[in-house]
Amino acid sequence: MKQDIVGLIYTGERVDELQELTRYRAPAALPMVGRYRLIDFILSSMIHSGIKNIGIIMQKNYHSLMDHLGSGREWNLHGKRSGLTILPPYMSRENVGLYDGLLDALHTNIGFMRRSVERNIAVSDSNVLYQADFRDVLRQHLDTKADLTLVYTKDRNARRNGRGRYLLVEDRQVTRIEYDPTIPHFENTYVGAFVARRELLIDMVDRAVAAGQHHFARDMLSQMVAERVYRVGAYECPGRVWVVDSVQSYFQANMDFLNDAFRAQAFRDDQPVWTKLRDEMPARYIGDSKVSNALVADGCLIEGTVENSILFRGVVVKPGAVIRNSIVMQDAVISRGAEVENCILDKETTLRENVRLIAPRAYPIVVAKGLTI
Amino acid sequence: MTQKKNCVAMLLAGGQGSRLGILTRHVAKPAVPYGGKYRIIDFPLSNCANSGIDTVGVLTQYKPLELNSYIGSGAPWDLDISNGGVFVLPPYSKGEEGEWYKGTANAIYQNLSFISQYNPDYVLILSGDHIYKCDYAEMLSHHVSRGAALTVAVRQVPWEEASRFGLMNTDADGIITEFEEKPRNPKSNNASMGVYVFTWDKLRQYLESDEKNPKSSNDFGKNVIPAMLAAGERLAAYRFEGYWKDVGTIESLWAANMDLLMTPPPIDLHDRKWRIYARNVGEPPHYAAPQGEIRDSLVTEGCEVFGRVVHSVLSADVHIATGAQVVDSVVMPHAVIGKGAVIRRAIVAENAVIGEGALIGEETGDIAVVGSNTVVPAGASLKAGQQLGE
Repeated sequence: MKQDIVGLIYTGERVDELQELTRYRAPAALPMVGRYRLIDFILSSMIHSGIKNIGIIMQKNYHSLMDHLGSGREWNLHGKRSGLTILPPYMSRENVGLYDGLLDALHTNIGFMRRSVERNIAVSDSNVLYQADFRDVLRQHLDTKADLTLVYTKDRNARRNGRGRYLLVEDRQVTRIEYDPTIPHFENTYVGAFVARRELLIDMVDRAVAAGQHHFARDMLSQMVAERVYRVGAYECPGRVWVVDSVQSYFQANMDFLNDAFRAQAFRDDQPVWTKLRDEMPARYIGDSKVSNALVADGCLIEGTVENSILFRGVVVKPGAVIRNSIVMQDAVISRGAEVENCILDKETTLRENVRLIAPRAYPIVVAKGLTI
Repeated sequence: MTQKKNCVAMLLAGGQGSRLGILTRHVAKPAVPYGGKYRIIDFPLSNCANSGIDTVGVLTQYKPLELNSYIGSGAPWDLDISNGGVFVLPPYSKGEEGEWYKGTANAIYQNLSFISQYNPDYVLILSGDHIYKCDYAEMLSHHVSRGAALTVAVRQVPWEEASRFGLMNTDADGIITEFEEKPRNPKSNNASMGVYVFTWDKLRQYLESDEKNPKSSNDFGKNVIPAMLAAGERLAAYRFEGYWKDVGTIESLWAANMDLLMTPPPIDLHDRKWRIYARNVGEPPHYAAPQGEIRDSLVTEGCEVFGRVVHSVLSADVHIATGAQVVDSVVMPHAVIGKGAVIRRAIVAENAVIGEGALIGEETGDIAVVGSNTVVPAGASLKAGQQLGE
């Protein structure tokens, strides 16, 4: 059903702890779970919430993201009454191109918000993987007569010491907000998504920027909550929430999908997660292949051993090769007798014959895109 | 005003495929799943896309619903363009007239006005029954260079089987001198593949005269080609070399799936220069559980394998429960194989549910078939060659 919400996804998150993985790509473009990119999950959630128009704010390294999204056809966002709007940074009299956080990004793209016709707007970060139905968020937002409703989780997996935004929630309202605390006091973690009336958000952003504020959460939200001029609602997002902000959290988020319950949460029969297609043939198992607790995408060719791992499209595992507890991205080749454990092999990497690459479990090694070892 | 096209393809997809038994009771043969993520019609449509043919009429009449929704806008094959694209063409009423397609030639005859819109130089006639990769552009240039009215794609079949086919006897230059339908004593082993390139004027001329002949059964092989030969038209044979499989029977459909498990497979679906496109189902990568085993098989996205899969082809979103075994079999989309069930030398069709401990098929003998949406009760058994389904 058509919803009166326009979507806006922000992809400018900081990337320092994602190391090599984000050298050439925005976090939103991180390959996930064998065939997706991180942004596919939030994009698909918005679409399944009936959102037909979605803007994507790009910042740095957005080539792979642009290539992935294309015309939006795979997400059915290529119609006359629906669409995907790519919002790259641009220079104008007021801004210098790159955004300094979400508030600046919203301000720079205020034109997109003004041109939209929907009454409400849903804004989300892109480095978070969660399942929220924005229709439910909007329903609560309207019921509670909130001006702005934040989506939060109680999942401890989303907490970080020294980083993040934590909420004290009373009767579906945010009464206090904590920003980057050394140790969070409140049990509710803001997931980086909210719903607001579109015109009100435009007005708030205009005023915040005019007042010299730069930070959406630290400045604008904190002030809103403290001054209580506006009602800031809080909607609890059900299920597991993954924040992908470091190599470890990226690794763990992927590995969690080997768990049946987490797959069931993210991949519902009636709500497919859409992504760019590659038209690969089904995965082929040949000879003495052994596979155990693994997610394997189409186009893979498996003649060796794969355990507790995730294989993206077109990965080749030669006879006698062993992959354990690893993430192997698109078109990587693991040659005869080679062995990898606790590694993240980026796209088009090659492991030569009999090479052993074994990392400690708590500290996965990232092999950069295109490398041959 | 439509733009002129060099070549328009017409794909005959109306056959019932009755030799596929319960597999085609609810869907037309071209919509039957094959090779894990494909349907038979993906092969001619992808061949068109890869050959640069962007205007395709698909002639349907038997159980067209699933086929129509599968083809949709034609986007998976890049056939959703504004000038051309893919068109589903069912029989329709034309004033006083209007009738079912009587034969292959009549089906095209009834759609001459569709072809006329594009005023093409050539018309490519295809069928939706075969698994093969063919560059139609090469066949077209063969047709043009021979100055032929009609070019028939042929492939060499073993001499001992030749008498089962329609054979094209040719001279040294590959010009057809004689056509023999299933002769007792074959003079050549060039079997027609049912793939034709016609020069448009000739196609129209011979279809119009064929239609006026009340004795004709309106079939390309039986009527149109002999009539053209008799009239002294120049007919060329285009020799196709490569994998070609008619999947018209249960056995041949099963065997064509098993061919994909050979090393190397006789048809390379991994060929990035000639991809076979299919409609996407939006499924996650397949999951292989710790207690499962997968060997010598094709497994498509969306599958969850908790049991044992050996020398089999699993389509998208198939669920194999713990302790279940699937050996030498083909499992079509969304089927569920219950705990401890054993599937051997069988085809399990779409959405079928096999109950716990059921035994389907046998280690030897004919292929057993479970039809689409069929629920096999726990503990039931189906012998070799048996078919079960509505």
